[in-house]
Amino acid sequence: MDMDMDMDMDVPMHDAMSEQLIPTINEDSNNSDNENNDNTNNTINSNGNNNDNNNNNNNNNNNNNNITNNGGNGGDNENDYQEIDFKPGSSGIADNKSNKPLELNPSNINQLDAWIEKLSKCEILSEDDVSRLCRMAVDVLQFEDNVQPVNVPVTICGDIHGQFHDLMELFKIGGPCPDTNYLFMGDYVDRGYYSVETVSFLVAMKVRYPHRITILRGNHESRQITQVYGFYDECLRKYGSANVWKMFTDLFDYFPITALVDNKIFCLHGGLSPMIETIDQVRELNRIQEVPHEGPMCDLLWSDPDDRGGWGISPRGAGFTFGQDISEQFNHTNDLSLVARAHQLVMEGYAWSHQQNVVTIFSAPNYCYRCGNQAAIMEVDENNNRQFLQYDPSVRPGEPTVSRKTPDYFL
Amino acid sequence: MNAETEHGNNSNNKDNNTVEQGNGVSRQEDLYPLALLMDELKHDDVANRVEAMKKLDIIAIALGPERTRDELIPFLTEVAQDDEDEVFAVLADELGKFVPYVGGSKFATILLPALEILASTEETLVRDKAVDSLNVVAQDLSDDQILNEFIPLVEHLATADWFSSKVSSCGLFKAVIVRVKDNTLRNNLLALYLQLVQDDTPMVRRAAAKHLSGLIDLFTENTNLATVEDWEYISTMFQKISTDNQDSVKFLAIDCLISILKYFNIKKDTTHFKDLLESAIKLITDEAWRVRYMAADKYSALATQFVVDQSYINELLPPFLSLCEDNECDVRKAIAEQVPAFATLLKDSPNIISTKIIPAVQNLSIDENETVRASLALKITNLVSIMTKEQAIEHLLPILLNMLKDEFPEVRLNIIANLKAVNEVIGIEMLSDSLLPAITELANDVNWRVRLAIIEYIPVLAEHLGVQFFNQQLSDFCLSWLWDTVFSIRQAAVNNLTKLTKIFGPEWCRDEIISRLLKFDSQLLENFIYRFTLLSALTALVPVISLDAVTDQVLPFVKHLADDAVPNIRFNAAKSYTVIVEALVTKDKQTYLSLIQDTILPSLQKLIKDDDIDVKYFAQQSLNKCNELLK
Repeated sequence: MDMDMDMDMDVPMHDAMSEQLIPTINEDSNNSDNENNDNTNNTINSNGNNNDNNNNNNNNNNNNNNITNNGGNGGDNENDYQEIDFKPGSSGIADNKSNKPLELNPSNINQLDAWIEKLSKCEILSEDDVSRLCRMAVDVLQFEDNVQPVNVPVTICGDIHGQFHDLMELFKIGGPCPDTNYLFMGDYVDRGYYSVETVSFLVAMKVRYPHRITILRGNHESRQITQVYGFYDECLRKYGSANVWKMFTDLFDYFPITALVDNKIFCLHGGLSPMIETIDQVRELNRIQEVPHEGPMCDLLWSDPDDRGGWGISPRGAGFTFGQDISEQFNHTNDLSLVARAHQLVMEGYAWSHQQNVVTIFSAPNYCYRCGNQAAIMEVDENNNRQFLQYDPSVRPGEPTVSRKTPDYFL
Repeated sequence: MNAETEHGNNSNNKDNNTVEQGNGVSRQEDLYPLALLMDELKHDDVANRVEAMKKLDIIAIALGPERTRDELIPFLTEVAQDDEDEVFAVLADELGKFVPYVGGSKFATILLPALEILASTEETLVRDKAVDSLNVVAQDLSDDQILNEFIPLVEHLATADWFSSKVSSCGLFKAVIVRVKDNTLRNNLLALYLQLVQDDTPMVRRAAAKHLSGLIDLFTENTNLATVEDWEYISTMFQKISTDNQDSVKFLAIDCLISILKYFNIKKDTTHFKDLLESAIKLITDEAWRVRYMAADKYSALATQFVVDQSYINELLPPFLSLCEDNECDVRKAIAEQVPAFATLLKDSPNIISTKIIPAVQNLSIDENETVRASLALKITNLVSIMTKEQAIEHLLPILLNMLKDEFPEVRLNIIANLKAVNEVIGIEMLSDSLLPAITELANDVNWRVRLAIIEYIPVLAEHLGVQFFNQQLSDFCLSWLWDTVFSIRQAAVNNLTKLTKIFGPEWCRDEIISRLLKFDSQLLENFIYRFTLLSALTALVPVISLDAVTDQVLPFVKHLADDAVPNIRFNAAKSYTVIVEALVTKDKQTYLSLIQDTILPSLQKLIKDDDIDVKYFAQQSLNKCNELLK
């Protein structure tokens, strides 16, 4: 059956597909060898972007330059890019932030319901509508906590990665939102073909039903990573410019980075950080910024559990690996029953580690359309009972409705 | 109509000329659409150029027919030679709608040069769209225009150097072939087509073979047009295609053959049937499996054309049986679906059915490939319609019972989905012993889509089986699906109960479903998912059960859930109230008015003041609708 009750096994993680930060940096530094480098920077700076009202990002200057390079390395096309501004905040979606949370009224509810209907058919919104949506979303997300409290019952989900039809399959398995409450642990974009539709849909649901759905930030909700793994290119392809990418990546800065379900389950994308001992320390971080290359916020989005004890260097080039001793100590200190995280491909869709101190949930079936993995979600009911539901890729029209038999030579 | 637009345009144009000196603004506005289009069509980004092309019709309307002819079309003809395929594809599509915009059919040939260029491009998508548009434009052309402008275009394409133009030309003959009344001219066209059928490149031969059956069908529609000379050409073409050295050309001969047979059946001319049967059998037993596959896929359509003489049908039996034992599973899969339709042609020889067809079916039903078995299962129950009850029980029933135990779920599902025919001839009782285990297994399949499929067949089965059998054997399943772990199954289970109530009636629902639902395990209901499911089930039943059941059984439960600890349950209780009020008000407003006012409205008033924003919202929505209904 779909329900899987064997909870004692520690299943090894299959990490072959996990992306690394290092190649990203390398790719960026390659770009900085480009002869246009200085030129481009000057162009951008002379556009007056340093006057940008968003000063949170001082520690990210490096990063911004890299991004600038990436956009401006087109040589002959340099003139086209002159007007494009890759600096955080340049989309303007956060220029008129409200000082109180967004209030829904009949007109914006109608607007949102119409958007949700359109998006659920896998049709993109217009650029203007994305801009309106993101402006509304800023006024919802900026008031959420770094550690967003979430009530039970809730269904906890992992990576989606632009696999829009599989996200719809997820709702067929777990039930539609808002009837079911959802908590997504990041990585909505990149890799799959429908990152724009996926992230637009989830953000629209968030604005429409802020208490029914929580969307955390993953390491892919970042300007730098999305330029390498597909979201940037997809926006360019579907909208003809980087504007929508700029809006969403500016919005990502406001996503909460962790959630606490009923004070018992600590949910986040990656894992623990050597600089974080208590949940209160997470609350003190300034999260409204591009994901840094190091430090506690980076670790929460990048770290992985490991069989080895203590802290280890992560092969990803960002975050750390942490052992069972670390998880046990963290859960004990913070009176938690479990750390739930995503970030790693697991063949069964979920996997326990550290003797059930940590669970990995991965919600993109047949990841990248070729990994052959199952996906899973974790239902937590109002009495804190947990149940995992596993599922396979969505069945698209025209395909057979019944699963293929495994050929005999595999058995 | 055309004259009118023409006239309107002329006066418009005169206005422009006079205004030219006096009022520059109006002139500019007039130029604006074309200038804007040209700007957009020169945009660096392909996406912008594609978008601009899609608005071509608006520009043409704005310009009026004369300027569309004089300025826009020459400009587009130029564009058609220098852009990206994406832009060409849209342009080719748009030009098909352009006859009215250039001033009607009188001027339609002005569109041909641009379309001819597009029909010669390398990209298939562009060529296909250009060919479609050329066919559309051709419908509006006069016979003179066809003769003097369109046919030269076809000839030009058909004799071009490059294969892409020739491929396009194959799709254009259908626009002209039956419009040419002159026999010599039509013979010349067919001679040209014969050249295409024998072209050096397989792509051209394939296109020619593909369009030939359509051309023959046109002769069938215009029965008296074709001459003996025409048929000599067609016959030669068919011979060439059916002996082509490329499988991908050869298999198209099947469609041509069916079209040829249709023609002679209409003409009631059976002189060639002996030869045609020979050609058919040759193709059916061809060495290339793709040809055999095509024959198998069209087997009954082909055989039906030979019904004039039962001996022809009998001759088609051995090759049919050999396809059933073909080495390629795709061939067997295709023929398995054709069994009942072909067997129907043999219904006057019950002996052949029982000694030849049934053993073949028997073999296919235990084929090593599951897709073959599933394909057989799709139609095989239709065999009963040509059998007596005794024959069906003796020959077909054992096979069906066995297929109900197939290890591959789709086989079982296909049989269950098509039991209606069997029920009508032999009654479902004969099947029930095997049916129940089959349903049980499908109901518990690990794949939720299999479970979903069997739930969807339950109402059909219920109708055949009757209420007694259902209560004894199936009602437990129907309730157990409500507690499935997958939402879609729970939802289907809810809908299923509504459908069953429509079949068995409200009393059955009250006694067999609602009372059992309300007595359900309270431990299960500690999980909000199952409270939600129960609420959905009862709400879905409200429109189909008696009002007493609504007020005595459903309403107290909904009212109870309006105070639930989980907000999702509270706002769904609020939604349920609307459904209940709608049922009460539409059926008997007077009796239930006080109940609504004393019980439901206060509960909704309370929910409007809920702490949760979504509960407030849905309660308000529900209250508004209730007040609307009470007006």
